[in-house]
Amino acid sequence: MPAEEMGKVTDRMRFAFAVSSLIFLAVLAISPFKDYRREWKQYKRTYLRFAQGRPDTKRLTADYSPDIDQIWIPGMNVVDRCTTCHQGITQASLADSSVPQPFRAHPPIPHNVRDWGCTICHRGQGPATAVAEAHESTLAWEQPALPTHFIQASCGTCHQSDLPQTPQLVKGRQVLAELNCVGCHKLQGIERPAMLGPDLSSIGTKVSREWVYKWLKEPRTIVDKDGNVTVNGYETEEEPRMPKFRLSETELRALTAYLSVQNAKPLAPYRISSAVVASWSKNPELISQGELRFRQMFCSTCHSLAVTRAGETKLIGGDIGPELTKVGSKVNPDWLVAWLRDPEAYLPHTRMPKYGWSDEDLYKVTQYITTKLVDPDLLNDVPKLDPPTDAEIQLGRRLFAEKGCASCHAIEGISPQKDFGPDLSALGAKNASELEFGTAKIAHNLVSYIQAKLQDPVSVNPAARMPQYSWEPGDLDAVITALLSMKGAPATSALQNLVVPRKDASFRPTGSFAELYERYKCYTCHKFNGYGGDLAPDLTYEGSRVQRQWLIEFLKNPQTLRPTLILRMPQLNMSEKDAAILADYLSMVMQHPAVNPAAIDSKQFTPAMATLGKQLYEVKYQCQSCHTIGASGGYVGPNLNNAGGWLTPAWMEAWLKNPQALVADTIEPRRNFTDQEIQALTAYLMTLRAGLKPQKTASISGARLLAQGAGR
Amino acid sequence: MKRRNLLFTVGLIALVSLSGCRKPAAAAKADPLLAAYDSEPDWSDATKSVSLRYQEAQGKRVFYQYCVWCHADATPAGPSNRSNLTPVPPLLNDGATLNSESDEFMQNIITLGGSAMGKSAMMPPYGRTLSAEEIRSVIAFTRAIAQPPFQPPGRPGSQYSVK
Repeated sequence: MPAEEMGKVTDRMRFAFAVSSLIFLAVLAISPFKDYRREWKQYKRTYLRFAQGRPDTKRLTADYSPDIDQIWIPGMNVVDRCTTCHQGITQASLADSSVPQPFRAHPPIPHNVRDWGCTICHRGQGPATAVAEAHESTLAWEQPALPTHFIQASCGTCHQSDLPQTPQLVKGRQVLAELNCVGCHKLQGIERPAMLGPDLSSIGTKVSREWVYKWLKEPRTIVDKDGNVTVNGYETEEEPRMPKFRLSETELRALTAYLSVQNAKPLAPYRISSAVVASWSKNPELISQGELRFRQMFCSTCHSLAVTRAGETKLIGGDIGPELTKVGSKVNPDWLVAWLRDPEAYLPHTRMPKYGWSDEDLYKVTQYITTKLVDPDLLNDVPKLDPPTDAEIQLGRRLFAEKGCASCHAIEGISPQKDFGPDLSALGAKNASELEFGTAKIAHNLVSYIQAKLQDPVSVNPAARMPQYSWEPGDLDAVITALLSMKGAPATSALQNLVVPRKDASFRPTGSFAELYERYKCYTCHKFNGYGGDLAPDLTYEGSRVQRQWLIEFLKNPQTLRPTLILRMPQLNMSEKDAAILADYLSMVMQHPAVNPAAIDSKQFTPAMATLGKQLYEVKYQCQSCHTIGASGGYVGPNLNNAGGWLTPAWMEAWLKNPQALVADTIEPRRNFTDQEIQALTAYLMTLRAGLKPQKTASISGARLLAQGAGR
Repeated sequence: MKRRNLLFTVGLIALVSLSGCRKPAAAAKADPLLAAYDSEPDWSDATKSVSLRYQEAQGKRVFYQYCVWCHADATPAGPSNRSNLTPVPPLLNDGATLNSESDEFMQNIITLGGSAMGKSAMMPPYGRTLSAEEIRSVIAFTRAIAQPPFQPPGRPGSQYSVK
């Protein structure tokens, strides 16, 4: 460019300048337009139009603000702008399902949304103002919103005690405990029990090497004719606790060799008196008598048997102990006799009670088990196994430690490795980038990861040591919920203060009661001060509830008037002395503070009161819809045929006043009785006496839990 | 040469401004079951399942604790008490009977019992056992599983058949 032309503005430059100015203007104009078109502003305008078309438009528009709305709770790390778009969440009038999202009101929950924010429960990105960034795992932010199906996990993060409103979470925690996940993993709020899997110190005296081989290969005993494992979907809905390990032939041979020589603490053999054997062994009634005793003792309350009816095989019976359909082909008959006499001697911490046996009963029942509960084809698929060699035993011993068997099973000479599996107590707070997805073709988020890992551990990590579990669909979702709830130690002290810890339930009786309580394993089915099983009635207030004499009779000979029940109190063949000790302790100690036996005198009841009570029972309140007296009535509540010989008048009175005050979750509705009506009803019920002892339904509480979780 | 520079500048500006218009990440298709709080099998057709909202799911929980014993044909403990009662109580999903009853009536009969509402005294009052909120949730559950489906009053069913 010549020097004289410097500084001169040519037309060309003017043109270029004009064009670039126009472009800049256009670019500048784009940004207000873009701002106007922002996602959240569009939702704001849509909401305003929606509110103007509603009958309560005045209130809705009064609450409307065109800006970003934010819930800020500094102590809890909450900066939630969700209410910018979800504008109707606190408007009660927008609760109807016809209101379009995102404007619908939040369903009524025990927490006020404004005090808690949204991401505490729903996760996702609180500060985000775009739909995708707020709800999904995008590159910049990693916590996606929790699918509604698993939302109970968020309740569990603070509520470590169980809530009735979160059945899925409660079930998930139960399944985690039942499947012994704490054997290998550290889990928040789940303690390691005294016994996980059975003690294998003397397993060689109980089962054959062939049986162990079959069990390790496929830990199910019942396979249908097509080779399908059909324990699933049986009436008990229970999975065997033992998972399936992916073992090679060499590993199977080595482990079976090692286990078959375990003989550290064998049971002392018991010889049934030869007179009993001589008099019964030739008796054609032997097996049927044995079956009868097996039934009468209610072994089926804890153990199930496969029963084929109308071409359909079902497991009938309880799920506390193992299923016994083919147990006769499993265990050594001499071991069986010694085990039944004294289970605790073989297996410390077993839940099996020590029954009182006569030699005659013991012979009949064991003969029934070893003759009838068998399957000659059970071990057909097992290859021929030679006597174990030293090399096999050594390899088996190593594998037992390496595979983590020792985490659940005690055995002589191997102590469990601490923290065998990863610590899962903060799994629920993990970001997707902290997880190994391997080559699995699944969505990269925490929920999909947990789901894939539980369903098939090797899908996300080919070298996983975790064995294969098989899941009921409901159980899988429940376990995912429980795992998502475990977010480790709270991040701030404000969050720490919100934690509702799990109540430590323990019951440590003393004296001669404690011995019998241990011997009969009362806690396997009954609860005492919050500790114990939930199959049978809670006995925490049994002393206030029942008469001592009834208790003694019942313990000696438990009966029920409910022919439909499968799960009943077993016949423990208790002596008069044992029954009296148990009854004394229960009547003295297990008392409800609000039930005062001195407050009511059954002598003051007159026949006129009883007549009035009968009328109230039958006509005004129609109690017969749920309770049976005589041969008619319902069977929701307990049978009252022997109410006068069973319950204490003080309990009846307190119960009629307010049943929930005595048993918090009882289904008996609280009625509006007058004091006079309560007296009359008590007087009437005290006149009811019968030889047969009524019993509260054993299955309702357990079954109720099932129903809540499974949704059947 | 200059023209090329100019075109380059214009192009650059256009690119920069266009980059601001990036498409938001496409929302993944949500699994309908994951979006539902809970679900209940359709009582009259086991192959189908009804997805439940929060309140309905709370109602389901209350129902399976308190009501199932008489208002269903199968209970978690086995047989139902329904056949023992005269008059026979309606099944909870019996839309033909319950759809025509208003929410107020349902709330009253559960709270006050059958005899207060001129029905069977065998239906006990639950007003002192359950909270009003729990009773409302049971009604919401009833409406959710009703067969034929429940139509809220004031909004008659569409005259056009669903495609």
